[in-house]
Amino acid sequence: MSRKLAALMAMIVLVGAMGLKTVVAAHSNTTLTASNGGAPPPPRDWK
Amino acid sequence: MLGLSAYAIWLLCTLAEASVVVCSLVRGSFRKYLALNLYMIGSVVVSVLRYWVFASYGYASDQYAFCYYYSDVLLTICLYFALTNLYAHVFEEMAAEKNIRFSAILLLVGTAAFSLAIVLQSSHRFTTRFFVEVSQNLNFVGLVLTYILWGAVFKLRETRTQLIQLVLALGLYFSLFAASFALRNLYPPASDLLKNMDPIIGCVLPLTWAYAFWRVPSDARLRPAGLAVVPR
Repeated sequence: MSRKLAALMAMIVLVGAMGLKTVVAAHSNTTLTASNGGAPPPPRDWK
Repeated sequence: MLGLSAYAIWLLCTLAEASVVVCSLVRGSFRKYLALNLYMIGSVVVSVLRYWVFASYGYASDQYAFCYYYSDVLLTICLYFALTNLYAHVFEEMAAEKNIRFSAILLLVGTAAFSLAIVLQSSHRFTTRFFVEVSQNLNFVGLVLTYILWGAVFKLRETRTQLIQLVLALGLYFSLFAASFALRNLYPPASDLLKNMDPIIGCVLPLTWAYAFWRVPSDARLRPAGLAVVPR
């Protein structure tokens, strides 16, 4: 696998992931989501 | 004020994270999956740190929110590198480690640049919003990368049971994250309820990885599928 192909794959993944996020958050983009660890999320969104 | 169940989930998750490291040490997989174990060690440290801030400043304090979201970014970056470590294992026979590392760094920089572009348009708390945006975007990048890795595992007929279970668990975790994010955006009234699901989602990964390290021997292999019968 050449380096150019690796870069192209990375860009495709980035575009795909951001497209997916845009579709998922089509109605709003204000949600803060964090799911690492079992600590309770802060009571109010921190923006 | 937190309920008893919230404390119980927090404790359970921290114990599960520690048990991943202990199980992999006992089963001799610690160095093999070093990035995964470093992520779990980081998670335990962050859990303790979050509890200390929580106990010192209170649940509703800015300090707790600061600690919670900033530590989440660091853990997400660690998880991203753990995922690239799994890629290196799946593609090790193709000797593609350098290209995987190059792609991973490029993708990380690309995600940061994309997040910066979003934040520059609309934020007064620039730094905070930037880090939160990077974390969320990296989770979506992780989701897509994990599905691609699933495809590669099936296509390459990967037989290492422990590796397959680690990848499947990661896919489950990212899928739950994306589902939670989507539902909260689609149904804002249910946002508070779904927000309380975050710690439960956070428990999925350490529990499934602990199971994979404890119950599946590192040299276990799946039995290859039977030969297809082709009619003459």
